[in-house]
Amino acid sequence: MIRASRYMVLLYASMAGVPAMIFLRVVFGIFGMASLQDAAGFLAGVGLVVFGIVGFVEVYAHPQNKHIEQVNEEAGEAHVLSPGAGRDTIVMSISRFAGGGKGIEMKDYRVKVSKFTTVLEALLMIKETQDSTLSVRYSCRMGICGSCGVVVNGKPSLACELNAEKTAVDGCVKVEQMRAHPLLKDLVTDFDDFFAKHKAIRPGLYRKDGKEKYEAKKEYKQSQEELNRFLPYSYCIMCGLCLDACPISNSNAEFLGPQALSQAYRYYADSRDQDGKKRLFDVDALKGIWGCEFAGACSHVCPKGVDPASAIQLLKNEAAKSILENGE
Amino acid sequence: MEILDYDLVILGSGIGGMTAAIHASRKSSARLSICIVTKLHAMRSHSVSAEGGISGVLYPGKSDDTFDLHAYDTIKGSDYLADQDAVEILAKNAPGEIKFFDHIGVPWNRERDGRISQRAFGGMSLKRTAFAADKTGFFMMRALYDEILSYGNIDILHEHFATKLILEKDTFRGIFAIDLNTGEMKLIRAKAGIIATGGASRAYGFTTTSYSSTGDGTALAYNAGLPLKDMEFVQFHPTALIPSGILITEAARGEGAYLRNAKGERFMERYAASKMELAPRDIVSRSIITEIENGRGLKHESGFDYVLLDMRHMDKEVIDGRLPMIKEITVKMLGIDPAEEPIPVRPAAHFTMGGIHTGIDGKVFYGKKDPAKGLWAVGECACVSVHGANRLGSNSLSQCSVWGRIVGEESSDYLKAQAGFERSYAMKPGEEEMERISGILDRKGTVNPYSLKSEMHAVMDRKLYVYRRMKAMAEAVRELHALEKKIGECYIEDKGATYNTNLRDFLELENLMTLSIAIAEGASRRKESRGAHAVVEFPKRDDKNWLVHTIVQKGRGGKPSIYYVPVKITRWKPQERKY
Repeated sequence: MIRASRYMVLLYASMAGVPAMIFLRVVFGIFGMASLQDAAGFLAGVGLVVFGIVGFVEVYAHPQNKHIEQVNEEAGEAHVLSPGAGRDTIVMSISRFAGGGKGIEMKDYRVKVSKFTTVLEALLMIKETQDSTLSVRYSCRMGICGSCGVVVNGKPSLACELNAEKTAVDGCVKVEQMRAHPLLKDLVTDFDDFFAKHKAIRPGLYRKDGKEKYEAKKEYKQSQEELNRFLPYSYCIMCGLCLDACPISNSNAEFLGPQALSQAYRYYADSRDQDGKKRLFDVDALKGIWGCEFAGACSHVCPKGVDPASAIQLLKNEAAKSILENGE
Repeated sequence: MEILDYDLVILGSGIGGMTAAIHASRKSSARLSICIVTKLHAMRSHSVSAEGGISGVLYPGKSDDTFDLHAYDTIKGSDYLADQDAVEILAKNAPGEIKFFDHIGVPWNRERDGRISQRAFGGMSLKRTAFAADKTGFFMMRALYDEILSYGNIDILHEHFATKLILEKDTFRGIFAIDLNTGEMKLIRAKAGIIATGGASRAYGFTTTSYSSTGDGTALAYNAGLPLKDMEFVQFHPTALIPSGILITEAARGEGAYLRNAKGERFMERYAASKMELAPRDIVSRSIITEIENGRGLKHESGFDYVLLDMRHMDKEVIDGRLPMIKEITVKMLGIDPAEEPIPVRPAAHFTMGGIHTGIDGKVFYGKKDPAKGLWAVGECACVSVHGANRLGSNSLSQCSVWGRIVGEESSDYLKAQAGFERSYAMKPGEEEMERISGILDRKGTVNPYSLKSEMHAVMDRKLYVYRRMKAMAEAVRELHALEKKIGECYIEDKGATYNTNLRDFLELENLMTLSIAIAEGASRRKESRGAHAVVEFPKRDDKNWLVHTIVQKGRGGKPSIYYVPVKITRWKPQERKY
């Protein structure tokens, strides 16, 4: 799954290299030793670049297969074609909330499931046959639309991707609403703020050839290497699970959060984009990349293997490099 | 009732709707006020589930491929029911749209020299399907959504469910919608409208599509008195995963996967020896059902009969690099690694070839010859028609983007010529609709809408599936009309205003019931086999009597009335269709 070494290298670069560089520059700056300041900057720069290169190599060693590996681990030993599975009853313990002064309460429902029933299907079975007032957001039921993010047995998950039987602990599946998004009803949360943060990083390719962009007479060429640089970060389905897992997002409403920042990197790293400098400048802030304290929870829960934590560290690296190279 | 005013309202946020919004805005130099109304979060529309790719002759002159060949393949695939002038527009404009999506950020798979890769697809003579792994629709959707966020003049109303299209005779005046987050009713008045609400495959129980594919815009158009075309042509995708129905892309076969029966035979040899697994979808679906009906299928413990999609002989790098989602899905849903074990599949409802009757420019028809004023339709909800009786895989994304641009620009031109804004007319229909919705919530019925939906699914799955029989279709018409009568007795348990999906589910059921009847009415009359409409008693295509589009329109007393209009044949005369 997620390799610690990859992060550690980047962590050193972002946490040790940058303060060291700033320290050296400030100290030598105070003493007016301009040439030493340049030398120190140069040395720190070289160090960072080395860290950066190692980090890149580590991150891109297996970008394509990352989420597949993750999937395999979770799939377990299930084998559908083996006969003999009956219909089992499980308990779905669901957090209910309808506003009107009443708080959240957990309510249990007994549901008969087959070995193929997903948590989402179990929720919809309750709605169709037991309690039609239950609300959950869903659409594609195949893990690509990003609607059905909920907390299942304590872990932020897509309800459509979990098998109900296999998820049950002692015959019970606990389903709660995400907490980093304001609660609307039952399992449905409000995404306005989440979308606003996504918008704030100015997603979308920026091009100077505005006319060509829309008339599309030519083709922008892109090598496989250039594609690989941003591809893993373009899998984001905007389900909001990473935000729910992030301790910073949960305690600091200002923080742009792992989803938006990973998308800032996705566009920054796309060779077709022509707005890199400004993108970096925009996220180079405490509510941006420097707000991340590197818990890595976002990458752990991402159902599509996007790995926002590495995107943020890569942005920190780029921001530090650009300061060293350009002075500002 | 909140009232909002816009120049242009776009209903639906899939690839058709969002592309139209961008081009309408561009054509007007951002002068138009545009509103996208969507019952989902805009980036979650069913277009995200499109997997295999988008067709288009990217390198004419540099390869053997030509626009004419793309057009011919499409027309032959349509079993000659497509309008040929429209197909030529599709073939000519599709490559430009692929480049447009390159320019807004889609991570196309590339060749070594940096050019866009293309893969083989069913019914296509050559490799002409551009792709971004097997998440092409998802990437196009994210690119469109991110692009739209930079437009100050495009508002998105997420999670607003439209329940009425308001027309003053032939002129569009606006829509009525419920804000799902608050329950607030909204009258959205506009000078022009574009319907882009997708297909209606959720009329069936076993389908590849999202829960949201309920044909809302198509049903609203029908209820507003507008004609629907060719509704009986429902595409069944040959390879849907059982028991969920999740799509296993045709690109799997494009990249080399085999179909096998219980004996391990590559049975397509019996039905389409030259194209094998890459025959068009109607033929492959019929072949699978024929194998199953002749006892050569397998029986799944979930109860489904099925055949096998075999990828074991394929290069693992191809599976991981070009079909990663297929692997992700089969592993997560069934614990099957496609490189090690074949995938259990059978045909499922996948695409609505029919839809709102439009002209070649996407303009919605009002009467037999005249278009409505200020109203367009685009994408799966519309029937131009480029897919005729059977769509070729990867032609739907090109259709959405090609006509997305066309209707966007057309609506912009139309609005430029509009001086005033007739605001007053929509008020009364809006108030009436508000009362109707409140009435539904107050109703004391006894029917559970979800049970009613299951009954509808049972009729559709059994009697209007891959093979159809005259008697069964006649029964389906009767049964569906009987089920429709029960709609008025449905009880909505949830009385709340906030995120009331019980009410939404009921409104979707109303729409699906309307469209199921349109499908059954059209199908039960068409006494021939053409494309996806295969009638056991009439196994041959009958160009003498049935080379016509079926039109269903609400007649007197609310009963569907049916008439036929000619198919546009230009350069390709109907021939026997063999692969």
